[in-house]
Amino acid sequence: MESMKELRSRMISVRKTMKITNAMYLLASSKMKKARKRLLASEPYFNRLQDTIADILVHTHSVNNRYFTGKDTAAGETKRGYVVITSDKGLAGAYNHNVIRLTESHLNDSGNNTFFFIGYSGHNYFAKKPELGKISGEHSYAATEPALYRARSIAEDLVKEFCGGELDEIYLIYTKMRSALTADTEIIKLLPLARDMFPDRRPVITSQADNYEEHYYPSPDAVLDMLVPNYVKGLIYGAMTEAYAGEQNARMIAMDNATKNAKQLIDRLSVQYNRMRQAAITTELSEVAGAAKTQYSQQGGY
Amino acid sequence: MKAFKIEILATDRMLYSGPCESLILPAIDGEYGVLAHHEPVVLALVAGELRYTVGGKTEVLAVGDGFADVEEDQVVVLTDFAERADEIDLVRARAAKARAEERIHAQRDAVTLAHAQSALSRAIARIKVSSRVNGMR
Repeated sequence: MESMKELRSRMISVRKTMKITNAMYLLASSKMKKARKRLLASEPYFNRLQDTIADILVHTHSVNNRYFTGKDTAAGETKRGYVVITSDKGLAGAYNHNVIRLTESHLNDSGNNTFFFIGYSGHNYFAKKPELGKISGEHSYAATEPALYRARSIAEDLVKEFCGGELDEIYLIYTKMRSALTADTEIIKLLPLARDMFPDRRPVITSQADNYEEHYYPSPDAVLDMLVPNYVKGLIYGAMTEAYAGEQNARMIAMDNATKNAKQLIDRLSVQYNRMRQAAITTELSEVAGAAKTQYSQQGGY
Repeated sequence: MKAFKIEILATDRMLYSGPCESLILPAIDGEYGVLAHHEPVVLALVAGELRYTVGGKTEVLAVGDGFADVEEDQVVVLTDFAERADEIDLVRARAAKARAEERIHAQRDAVTLAHAQSALSRAIARIKVSSRVNGMR
């Protein structure tokens, strides 16, 4: 059993920790409000972008373009690129863990992987595991508030490496907010384009027969050269916005739980402390009483 | 005139969603007009001026790079940014234009040049739309 002094110092330390977690909760919840606003503003674009690309791809049968045809490589030899969005700091519950776990389960076994990190948590984890793949040096960013120019610069490099043959497949891994309480880790294949790449997106069905062939103006190559970098950039920006809101949300929930837990702990500790104090007082009292009685009987009484 | 549905989405907001009678888009090699029952087509868009007519009244927008998916009865325009004339910060656009021109003049590597050129076309699009609506300032 701990001594009373130990118990006291433990209570003080729990109380101090609780102050920190509570402050972090408040901070995360105010950031969350801002992030949610931004998310609401950019969500229509993000969703429509995926719908539209899905729609275009469904109606594209005969176009042969470098963005459609991945190189024919034996399984395990494809060079994969991963854009992984995590947070910079921990203390966000399972947020980073989920992203890292999903990434690891998806990796090419041969280690032919290149990582592009947004957020240092992911970077720090995979930096310790060089056998899993190499980290693209230029592109490890802090997961600060999402910005379009940042998404643009990552997208530019991704498209360049894809066209240059340094990467055969590119994936995007991020956290999507489903509701205020649930967030899912998602993986999206960015390139090469394939007709079945958005299986859960329902392409917009027009009143017209659905098997018409899409036209491209002025030419498929000209359109796709513009469209693909734009689409990659749009998806990355959207994912950054989703992930940022998800991070704040995860941190808010984690810190709320921590604060609640600390409160319970303090309650339990104070009961224990009070019991000990009571016991100490009782012991002392009975000692005093015992001593008094002995003295009284030694003096022979009155 | 027969109306069709259009949606104009910028990365940070939905700018317009509703009926429209005619739509003019800034395509790679000039303006591209769309009316109801246009054939399905996918267009690449460059920074420039986008015009759409609702109930006989024409709205002018400055838009960035993007693309448009034209279908039988609806058009979706997805672009980096879209601003109405009164939302444009003319001072900022002019400064951006001067900066971009300076960079193009310095002519460093191809990537910097491409960035400067797209920044320039964004600035020009904003200035053009702003001065068209407000008269020359």
